Amino acid sequence: MPATAAASRAGPPVLEAASLVRDYGPVRAVNHVSFRLGAGEFLSVFGPNGAGKTSLLRLLAGGLRPTSGEVRVSGIPLTVGDRAARARIGILSHLSFLYGRLTARENLRFYGRLHGLGDLDSRVPDRLADVGLERYADSPVDTLSRGTVQRLAVARALLHDPGIVLLDEPYTGLDAYAGAMLQELLSALKDGGRTVVMVTHNLGRGLELADRVAIQVRGSFVFEAERADLDAAGLERSYRRAVEGRA
Amino acid sequence: MTVYLRQVAAIVRKDLLLEVRTGERLAAMGALTVLVAVLFHFAIDQGLVRMQLLAAGLIWMTILFGGMLGMGRTFEMEREQGAIQGLLTSPVPLDGIYLAKVVSNFILVTLIEVVALAAYWLFFGFNYGNDPLLLAGVLGVATLGFVAVTTLFSAISAQTNMGQTLLPILIFPLLVPVVIFGVTATGRIFASRPVQEVEGSLYLLAAFTVVALTAGTILFRYVVEE
Amino acid sequence: MSLARIRWMAAALGVLGVAGVLVLHWLVFFWVGTERTMGIVQRIFYVHVPAAWVTFLAFGITALCGAAYLWLRDERLDWAAQSAAEGGLIFGAIMLTSGPLWAAYAWGTPWTWEPRLTLTLLMWFVFVGYFLVRASAEDRQAGKRMAAVIGVLGALLIPLVHVSVLWFPSLHPQPVVLNVEEGPTLDGDMLITLMTGLLAFTLIFFSVFCLRYGLEHMRYQRALEMREQPRAT
Repeated sequence: MPATAAASRAGPPVLEAASLVRDYGPVRAVNHVSFRLGAGEFLSVFGPNGAGKTSLLRLLAGGLRPTSGEVRVSGIPLTVGDRAARARIGILSHLSFLYGRLTARENLRFYGRLHGLGDLDSRVPDRLADVGLERYADSPVDTLSRGTVQRLAVARALLHDPGIVLLDEPYTGLDAYAGAMLQELLSALKDGGRTVVMVTHNLGRGLELADRVAIQVRGSFVFEAERADLDAAGLERSYRRAVEGRA
Repeated sequence: MTVYLRQVAAIVRKDLLLEVRTGERLAAMGALTVLVAVLFHFAIDQGLVRMQLLAAGLIWMTILFGGMLGMGRTFEMEREQGAIQGLLTSPVPLDGIYLAKVVSNFILVTLIEVVALAAYWLFFGFNYGNDPLLLAGVLGVATLGFVAVTTLFSAISAQTNMGQTLLPILIFPLLVPVVIFGVTATGRIFASRPVQEVEGSLYLLAAFTVVALTAGTILFRYVVEE
Repeated sequence: MSLARIRWMAAALGVLGVAGVLVLHWLVFFWVGTERTMGIVQRIFYVHVPAAWVTFLAFGITALCGAAYLWLRDERLDWAAQSAAEGGLIFGAIMLTSGPLWAAYAWGTPWTWEPRLTLTLLMWFVFVGYFLVRASAEDRQAGKRMAAVIGVLGALLIPLVHVSVLWFPSLHPQPVVLNVEEGPTLDGDMLITLMTGLLAFTLIFFSVFCLRYGLEHMRYQRALEMREQPRAT
């Protein structure tokens, strides 16, 4: 794989997958996946259901142990037992990870305490303001719309200022308006120099923010490209070929 | 270490806050506790049997069923909206999550024990003996063992499609020691027997609790981790 | 080990085991002397004790392989643990039915709540739970891990069961073979019959174990082949 400009500038890559393999019994979910991402790079991984995208993301999050290969964060191998490394990783999924009966503020304070953050009195209101939810601070999450909950989930994922953000189908269940709002929030991630990996089957959303794209089919990356070398129609063609082509 | 304790405390605090907010587990456990006592009233012919002689057994069965009902939801409630993934991918060590759940469950079960003792006193006029401190000690140690086992297994049953149906089948065989020694100890306290007659059971309960907590702390990560 | 080799071993062990059981029955019915105080029903003992031995052996294997599986995550260890647990469940059922048949005459009651019986029954139920968890787990891999955890916890009961008969005064007979102080206290012909039973049951257990292990092996290979085959479109 060609080293990208950002990676070569920044020394060791922020997030690196080295020949990652994960088997579930006889089923191989992730098959020798490798990539290196520098600070501020955004990788979108596309693939049909069951391609192993979520398994890949969980490997990157250190929540799943690889059968072989390893994940490196700033050059240091990530192990499942290494809980401290998680302080550098934020995760946003289509599930909010929030408690419906607690308020927005209580949820963020809870996650802040799990991360051992000390300045919650100032940090939580700030982060609520960042996602435009100040006025919902004391509303139970149950009473908020799906789109609002997802914005709160963004605040939750970024609460501890992770350098790496992992996105797992974050657009699922959002209407067009809420999707656009989320898009705006996510595009700000790159400005903060964060390294992002998003897995999705939504080609349009995935392409908009990406610097690089990959298509994962039956565990393997069967297609990789720089965003600059690709347009929407080209990605669509490559995707169709990748998914159907291995017949 | 203090970070660890603060993380554990955060989870306990969140659990209790949720419980205060919804009251769902406590309400179900408390109602079941009282209703079981009502059923026992009609299930046992008090013209033939002196209820006081059965007091320890009845109370322990009530605690077991009431406690299991609430604790079975320990991890099911974390799975709504995927919060369990938020916990598992946070920097909190996995044994810390287990211990936090043990603590919050222990508090819940202790509360329903108070309800059970009150209900039985009200309905049957049970005499609980003249050593409340020893009774509290025995109940505390036995409850901790009960909670340690049940919390581990509620993490297992939450990951099956049988859910809470499975829980009693899994935990009752392992909880028999708690029942044997718990009933023996509390029965003797109720009968106001000398402390020496309770000591043996208390030590065995303590041993069980230590083994259960240790095994739970070590094995929990294999139940939730991948 | 190759599949063919496992099958061959299963067959060989099975033939030897069945032959052993036939010899055992001949010994039990026509050869061994009748015990003086308990009379004819004492002969159930030659089935009961080997069944109990195999049950503990099987659950011990399950626990060890389960613990090793949690450590090494080698699928073969899981096949072994599962295969042993199934054998343990079957021989456990034999132990739990033959025991009361004998006790109904010898003790005058089919069941008594002394520690060894109680804990053995409970252990059997723990392994029923072992299979319920495997079968109902939403995620197959999680099911294997959770079953292994249950196997380890179940095995914590084994030493308790063995020692319980020494700690607590009870109706259950004291060890007659592994008796540390006096050596075997059994008559020669009874000892030979018992040993035949132990050998035969152990052989049958390992035969079933190999068959079961081979089956898992085959399923795994089949799944691997499915993976290698290109998808039909």
